[in-house]
Amino acid sequence: MSSIAAPPLAQKKRKFHIAPYMLILPAIIVLLAALAYPVGWQIITSFQEYGLKQQFGQPPEWVGGANYVKIFTDPQIWAVILRSIAFCLVNAALTVIIGVALAVLMNSIVKGARLVLQVGLLLAWAMPVVAAMTVWLWLFNWYSGVINWVLGPAFANHNWLEDPISFYAVATIIVVWMSVPFVAFSVYAGLTQVSGEVLEAAQLDGANGWQRFTQIILPLIRPVLMIVLLLQIIWDLRVFTQIQMLQDAGADYNSTDLLGTFIYRTGAGSANYGMAAAMSVFVLVLTIVLSAPYVRSLLKEDNNG
Amino acid sequence: MKRTAALLAMVTSGALLFSACGSPSNAGNSAAPSNSSSESAAAGQNITLWLAGSDTPTALREYLQETYKKKTGGTLKIEEQTWGDLVTKLTTALPDPNNTPDVVEVGNTQSPTFTNVGGFSDITDMYQELGGDKLLQSFVEVGKVGDKNYTLPYYYGSRYMFYRKDIYKEAGVSVPKTLDEFNSTVVEIAKKNPKKIDNFSGFFIGGQDWRNGISWIFANGGDLAKQENGKWVSTMSDPNTIKGLTQLQNIYQNASKAPATAKDQSPWLYINDTDTDVEKDATTEEVTKETPTKLGAATIMAPGWAHWSIGKLTKVKDEKTGKMKDAREWDGKVFGVYPLPGNDGNPAPVFAGGSNIGISAKSKNQEGSRELLRIIFSDEYQTLLGENGMGPANSDFNSTLGSDEFAKALIDSASNSKLTPAAVGWAQVEDKKLLEELFSKISTGGDIAALTKEYDAKVTPILNGEG
Amino acid sequence: MASQTLAAPERAIENVNVKPATRAVTNPGQRGAQRRKLFKGLRSIIAILLALVWVFPVYWMISSSLLPTAVLESGTPRFFPWGGSLDNYEAVFEMGTFWPALRMSLTVTIIAVAACLLFAFLAALAISRYHFKGRTSFVLAVLFIQMLPAEGLFIAQYKMLASLNLINNALGLAGLYTASVIPFTVWMLRGFVAGVPADLEESAMVDGCTRTQAFFRITFPLLAPGLVASGVYAFLQAWNEFTVALVIMQSEEARTLPLWLRAFVQASASRATDWGQVMAASTLVAVPVIIFFLLVQGRMTSGLVAGAVKG
Repeated sequence: MSSIAAPPLAQKKRKFHIAPYMLILPAIIVLLAALAYPVGWQIITSFQEYGLKQQFGQPPEWVGGANYVKIFTDPQIWAVILRSIAFCLVNAALTVIIGVALAVLMNSIVKGARLVLQVGLLLAWAMPVVAAMTVWLWLFNWYSGVINWVLGPAFANHNWLEDPISFYAVATIIVVWMSVPFVAFSVYAGLTQVSGEVLEAAQLDGANGWQRFTQIILPLIRPVLMIVLLLQIIWDLRVFTQIQMLQDAGADYNSTDLLGTFIYRTGAGSANYGMAAAMSVFVLVLTIVLSAPYVRSLLKEDNNG
Repeated sequence: MKRTAALLAMVTSGALLFSACGSPSNAGNSAAPSNSSSESAAAGQNITLWLAGSDTPTALREYLQETYKKKTGGTLKIEEQTWGDLVTKLTTALPDPNNTPDVVEVGNTQSPTFTNVGGFSDITDMYQELGGDKLLQSFVEVGKVGDKNYTLPYYYGSRYMFYRKDIYKEAGVSVPKTLDEFNSTVVEIAKKNPKKIDNFSGFFIGGQDWRNGISWIFANGGDLAKQENGKWVSTMSDPNTIKGLTQLQNIYQNASKAPATAKDQSPWLYINDTDTDVEKDATTEEVTKETPTKLGAATIMAPGWAHWSIGKLTKVKDEKTGKMKDAREWDGKVFGVYPLPGNDGNPAPVFAGGSNIGISAKSKNQEGSRELLRIIFSDEYQTLLGENGMGPANSDFNSTLGSDEFAKALIDSASNSKLTPAAVGWAQVEDKKLLEELFSKISTGGDIAALTKEYDAKVTPILNGEG
Repeated sequence: MASQTLAAPERAIENVNVKPATRAVTNPGQRGAQRRKLFKGLRSIIAILLALVWVFPVYWMISSSLLPTAVLESGTPRFFPWGGSLDNYEAVFEMGTFWPALRMSLTVTIIAVAACLLFAFLAALAISRYHFKGRTSFVLAVLFIQMLPAEGLFIAQYKMLASLNLINNALGLAGLYTASVIPFTVWMLRGFVAGVPADLEESAMVDGCTRTQAFFRITFPLLAPGLVASGVYAFLQAWNEFTVALVIMQSEEARTLPLWLRAFVQASASRATDWGQVMAASTLVAVPVIIFFLLVQGRMTSGLVAGAVKG
């Protein structure tokens, strides 16, 4: 599969081309126009004490690396960071595993069932986050939620959001529910490229299901998997709306904060924009570090090809 | 100050009823001065008013728009912002001259944060004209920086108790007359649980519900913070505050079955019968047995307008569409109200809900905005506020709230109500959810002395804008 | 060259072929075929059950939106909307705020999707068809932009758009959305463009087509499913986003659907949450996406499959 990425033309024509630059120019202009100022502002502000007063016109005060020092010395911030990493890894892993399983399943069932599964996943995928969260919150509502009712009297008035562990369990269910369809469809699209003849041949050769999966299918969908996993890691590390809406529905804020909500509340809530900016820059670096192995192998494949 | 204002209102309420409602034309002339010079300066200015939440009814909004048009010829655009996002939006829009709303309703506890950084225009010169000392003084106070007025009260809505008469009766208790009585009554109801409902609360108060919970602090003479040498100091660990919190912990542990993370949202859910099993006699169609299957509490504490959501479920004709729709109908036989009593025989000082209103400092339409304030503080509009169940800013108009049990409970409970500290950083204390955390921990049986010390240390720097 | 997709599986088979002896033994007989059929049936049933799990919240939303709140508040949930009506929808429409929000959402989303697809496609063409100086840096930059946390950016984004007079403006928001989805779209399209062998174009050119003709006749149709897939992604992002919109679209008439829904839920909660109406409002926000999805889905997968086989 990696060989597909080979740009055959490029290998033949190594001379200077103006064309590629013209082609990436529009994208670069849009990205620069939309992001250069905000990102620059964020980096500068991360070295400042910038609060509501500054927002209303007073000149900000330079504090050097004080905001960054605080990140590394504040145990509460570290707790948030560690929780976020754990949440991100667990969710990304679960999402990808379940997504791949569903894609494989999709590929090996009768057409009618496949259609039902696809439409089901599609409906879930199509749910706007705010709408989906509204429904989920109601399902898990401690007083009138269906889930407590189904679980019976022992769970009457059980508040799922009170204990941080069960809070994260609920968050995981919701996040995985929302993200699995994307993974399942992407992987399924990859799977359809595995020709049936090849699999049949392998089966004739006596390869069992697991062997066929690990030795034929997996290598083939590896590129898709890598990108999907990378994206899940990026997205799950910054998960925001779901956590914020769960918190607002009744949870202890400080023990359930993840990076997204923490940054938002530090900035928008506490008007400590300098600190929020420093945290954002830190999260960017953290994401790069976490995804470095993937990025490197992605690049390698990209260049070798 | 507050007390005198309220007292004045009580004493004069009878007379005012006539002066305010009996001769509206006369009253209109006195409070909305036809200052021709200011009106001409405001002429044609199109302004935007941000209202927070859906508390201001449509009729009042239309009144503002029509009157503004009449007075200035300009249009008034009213935009409703939700409470949850108000601070974020004000943070970005108020400093932006091109997009700032001209007049802004802001939560009374959020006001100091924005007045202290210069978000609002100085309206000290209008203070007397708009009502002066008749305005609810605790709200005026949070709108001040030094001697200057930046925001003024818009309306108040203090909280009082809603209770189930049937359950109080079955439990053999009566409406408590003092705070101590209240504390023991609700525990007793929870213990007796006359209807034998699982997880039944004598008084439902959420673990994170500090807005209602601080009433116990205030009622015991405690406070959240005080000013010392120009600096704010959090006073959670003062003996009086701790006394109040200890009583509250007892309620949390023995009277309330609310989750430790519940807030003050929609408490009326728990006092309504949400479902009734009805058994009918097969031949006579007569109801033989009626059992409520879901009821959470005998008492809740809520703002006055909650009574629109409390009662028996019936079909009511929608005025607009003429269709029948579900609505709750208050039933005086089953439900009742009373203000939280204090130990001195007066109502306990409860948290005064409500909001302030001010003019954005960056607004380009200062004259038009000032004209709108004149309309809002006019006799007519203050009367409209009262008639719609919102505590009017001007205490002369308390009588317009009416004389039913809700008006009485509202005026009584407001007579002694208190506000959160007028510190620069108060909105940040709220946004960091520190009080939610503290109260939640107390509700689950935490060590009050240690917790309050811990939170004092956290809150003090934030109060002074050093968080 | 065109059969490169097949090259990899063939290699993989060699790996599997380690036990050639088993070949004869497990020659599938009729019983095996029957068993396989049985397993397929079982798997299909499991798949349908899983589909139900995924659909349940969606179903619950729609079902509840048809019921009066009184029924929803009662202690026993009602799993089927017997005796339901469209009253909740009527009440939601009556407020008159849904249509402007829908229009705003559509405007923002369409601008963002169109701009994003065009720009990302061009960029994808560049990085998959050419090796050029700065290519790796561009690819890296595109990846890293993905990782910027948005929660800290909004003040600066507001300041920027305010200085351009684009607050409460569909164009401003669409611009931000375009920038935030371009990186991933470039990645996604890059794979598709690379999957269409340049040889095809070249052979067309040999046949006398110009480069542009070759591109539009040969490459573009093969890319269609990729564009649809990326378009779906961009659509979802732009349609769902609400943190940035919250700050940029402050005035009531500039609200996008997620903001409208959020305001609706919050306003409802500040009185007594009318679950029936809240669910109706949620359904209304979801319906356009569902329609869009059902329209493109068949095209997306079938196109994908076709493209893959031909490739």
